[in-house]
Amino acid sequence: MEKTILKSPRTGDSCIHVKHSSGLDIYICEMPGFSSVEALFGTKYGSINTMFRQNGDSEYTTVPEGIAHFLEHKLFENEDCDVFELYAKTGASGNAFTSFDKTAYLFSCSKNYQESLRILLDFVQKPYFTKETVDKEQGIIGQEIKMTNDNPEWRVFFNMLRCMYHSHPVKIDIAGTVESIAQIDADLLYKCYNTFYNLNNMVLSIAGNISADEVLAICDECLKPCEDKGLETVFPEEPEDIVQAEVYESQPVGASIFNIGYKCADCRGEERLKKSMEASIVSSLLTDASSDMYQKLLKDGIINSSFGSEVFTGDGYFTVIFSGESDQPEKVRDALAAEVERIIREGICEKDFQRIKKSTYGMLVRELNNVEAVANLMMNSHMDETGPYDAISVLSEMTAADALGFMRESFSRDKLVMSVITAEL
Amino acid sequence: MRYNRTELAGNIGFSSIIDEKFKTGSLTVRFITELSGEKAAANALGIGALSASSARYRTLAELNEKLSSLYGAGLSTFARKRGDVQVLGLTASWICSRYAIDGEDVDSEMLEMIRGCIFEPNVKDGAFDADSYAITKKDLLDRIDAELNNKRGYALSRAAEVAFRGEPAEVSCYGTKEAASAVSAEEAYKAYLSLIKDSQVEIYYIAPQEDDRVLEMFRDSFAGIQRNSGKVRFENISPVKREPVTESDVFDVLQCKMVMTFKTASEDSAAMKMLSIIFGETPVSKLFLNVREKMSLCYYCACRYTQSKGALMVDSGVERENIEKARDEILRQLDEIRNGNITDEEIQSALLSADNALTQIGDTPSSYSAWYFERFCEGKVITPEERYEDYRMVTKERIVQAAKSLSLDSIYLMLDKEVKE
Repeated sequence: MEKTILKSPRTGDSCIHVKHSSGLDIYICEMPGFSSVEALFGTKYGSINTMFRQNGDSEYTTVPEGIAHFLEHKLFENEDCDVFELYAKTGASGNAFTSFDKTAYLFSCSKNYQESLRILLDFVQKPYFTKETVDKEQGIIGQEIKMTNDNPEWRVFFNMLRCMYHSHPVKIDIAGTVESIAQIDADLLYKCYNTFYNLNNMVLSIAGNISADEVLAICDECLKPCEDKGLETVFPEEPEDIVQAEVYESQPVGASIFNIGYKCADCRGEERLKKSMEASIVSSLLTDASSDMYQKLLKDGIINSSFGSEVFTGDGYFTVIFSGESDQPEKVRDALAAEVERIIREGICEKDFQRIKKSTYGMLVRELNNVEAVANLMMNSHMDETGPYDAISVLSEMTAADALGFMRESFSRDKLVMSVITAEL
Repeated sequence: MRYNRTELAGNIGFSSIIDEKFKTGSLTVRFITELSGEKAAANALGIGALSASSARYRTLAELNEKLSSLYGAGLSTFARKRGDVQVLGLTASWICSRYAIDGEDVDSEMLEMIRGCIFEPNVKDGAFDADSYAITKKDLLDRIDAELNNKRGYALSRAAEVAFRGEPAEVSCYGTKEAASAVSAEEAYKAYLSLIKDSQVEIYYIAPQEDDRVLEMFRDSFAGIQRNSGKVRFENISPVKREPVTESDVFDVLQCKMVMTFKTASEDSAAMKMLSIIFGETPVSKLFLNVREKMSLCYYCACRYTQSKGALMVDSGVERENIEKARDEILRQLDEIRNGNITDEEIQSALLSADNALTQIGDTPSSYSAWYFERFCEGKVITPEERYEDYRMVTKERIVQAAKSLSLDSIYLMLDKEVKE
C-alpha cells in the first residue's frame, strides 16, 4: 500500500492518496470542525464507454446506449434487499449518478460513517441481476427518459452536442433511449460490470468528519483484490468539423433558452487541465458582466443575468458552452463570435485577465470549504489523471498569452454551433 | 461555533455565527413582510435593484468588476415565499482576507460594498436609476416566464395556487408578470423604502472570526432611518376545502405531473414531520417503496410538509394512464399509516435520517443561516440537537393521529397534450 500526502501550498489544505493493494485508488480528506461525511465510490465508466476490450479479447465489444446508467440503477438491488434499506439502518443518505465518463455511488451522513462505508464498498462489489429485475427497471428508466425529455435545459444541451459530434458517443443521452435499453439483459450487465467495476478502474473518495486510519482499516476489510485486466476503451473516429451550425426545437417553455458552443480539440491529463483552466478564463472574460459585449447585449434586452459559460470536457470531447435565455439567440451568437475575433486580433486586456484570474482562484478556494465539493474534487481530478490541488497551481502560472493562445487555437467560427429551445418555431 | 443574536432596534435582529472552520465570510439580510398580490412584484423589484448598482458603483458593470476583483465575491438578491410571508433579501459571500494573494482586505471591502448596496442605492429624483432598473425588471419578467421551464417546480407552484386560493400564499414570491410589468422605477424605489422602514429585518453574519464592525455598520445605518415596523404572523393554517378540488393544465409534455395537497390543523409539528419522513421523504418511505418501486407507477413520488400553512404536498411524475392508480395508491399508503401500520424500523430509520440531516447543519454557511432564520420564524431558537429530541419523543400513536388529521384539499394535474379530457 503506497501512501502519499498531497498538499496545496497556497491554501494549506491537504489530503491523502493511497494506492491500495486491492488495486483501488483511495483519497481521504480529514476536515476538522465539519460534522458531515461525503463518500464516493466511482468507476471510470459512463455513457460514452460503449466500445471496449480487455487482455485476451481479440475483438471490441459494443454495448447498447444507456447501459452504464442502467447498471447503476440495478446495482442498488442486492440479492436479498435494496441498498436503501441498508442505509436506512445507519441514517445515511445514499445515491448514485452516471455521467458521460463516470458512474459514482455515494452517501452523505454525519453519524455511523464506518457502517455506511462498509455498505457502500460491499454492495458495489456484489452485483445481482436477474431477468425479472432487469425487466422491471426498463419501465422505471423509461419514465426517467420521458422526464428528462421534458427538461428543456437537457434537450438544448444534447441538441447542441448532436450538432457538434458526428460519431463520438457524448452525443447520446446518458440514459439511452426506450429502444436501446430494451436490448439490455442480465448477461450484458454482468459483462459490463466485470469489465468496468474492476478496482483498478475505480476510485474511493471520502471527506469530512473521518479518520484516515479508520477508513483504511475498513477498506482492508471490505475490498476484494482485483487483477488489472488491461481495460481499453475506444471511440469511433471523430472528424474535426461540426455536423451542423444550428438547431431549433419547440417545447413548452416560458423563456427561450440557448446553448452556443465551440467544438475544440480534445486532450488528456495535465494538458486537459491546463486547457480547461485557459478555457474557463477566456469564457469568463466573454461572459463577464463588466465587459462591453455583455453590457451591450444586456442593455439591448438580448440577454439577462442567466447568461453564463461552462467548459465541458472528457475523453474525446472538449467544448466551451455559452448558455442563457434569449428571444434573439442569433444576436448572442454573432456578438460572441465578433468579440472572440476582436480579442484574437487585439489581445486580452492584462487588467481584466488578472481580475478574472483572481475571481477563479476565489472560486477554487471556496470549493475547499465544503465537504461534498472536496470529495467530488478528489474523485474527478483522479479520473482526469491530475491532482486535487493542481488547478490552483496551473492557474497561478497562467499568463494572458496562454489564454489568448487557447482562444486562437480553439475558438474557430466554423466550429461554432447553436441550439435553441423555444415555445414556438 | 458561537451563536449570538442582538436586537439592533425594533424588529431588527443581528445574528452572528462564528465558526473557525470556514474560509469565507457571508452575510444575509432578510426583509420580512406580508405577502400580497398588490405589492409582491414591487417588493421583488425594489430588492432586485440593489444588486444591479449602487450610488458608488453606478452600473452593473462597475459593481461586477469590483466583485470579481475581490476574488469573485458573490452578491445577489432574492425573493422567496414562506407561507403567507414574503422574504426578500440580499446575500453576499467572499473569501476571507487571509486567503487574498495580494494582501487585499476583502472583509472590509465587502462590508463597505454591502452597506452601499443596501443603504445607498443608485437613485435619482426619487426613482432607481433608469438603466439599472431596466435590467432588474427584465430579469424578473424573464424569471417569471422561465418558471414553466422547470416542470416539477411549476406544478408545485400551480398546486400552491389551487390549495391556498384566497390566501396570501396563493401569490408567487415574484408577483404576476402583469403586476411586475406595471411597476415603475419610482414605485420600486418606494417599495424598497417601505421595506427598509416597515419590514422586520433579520441579519445573519457567518464567518471564522468575530468582526464587531459588521454589527456596528448595521446599527449605524439603521439609526438614521425612521422605522415603523410591525411583526408579521409566520404561521397561518390554511383551511381545508369542503370538497377536494382538481385543476389541470395541458402542455406538450411527455410525463404528467400530479400534486396532491393535504391539510391539517394539528399543532403537533414534530409528529407531522415524522409522518412526512415515513410517508414520502426518503428512499425507504412508503411512497417510494410502494408507488415507485413495487408498482412502478411514478418515476418520483415524494412529500413535503409546510408547517406554516399546515399543508403536506405529495408530488409525482406519472404517466397519464397511471394517474388514477397512483392517486389511489398514495391515498392507500396514507390510510396504512392512519391504521397504525408503521413498523418500529420505519420509525427508527426516520429518526436516523432526521438525525443525520440535523447534524449536518453548520457544515455550510447557508445551512446555519437557514436554520436560525427558520427558528426565528417559529418563535424559539433551539439547537438541531434539541429538535432531534422533539422527534425522538414522537410516539407511533402521535404519528397515527397526525395522519388522521390530514384531509385531501386539492389535486393539481399537469397533463400531456395527447389526451383529450
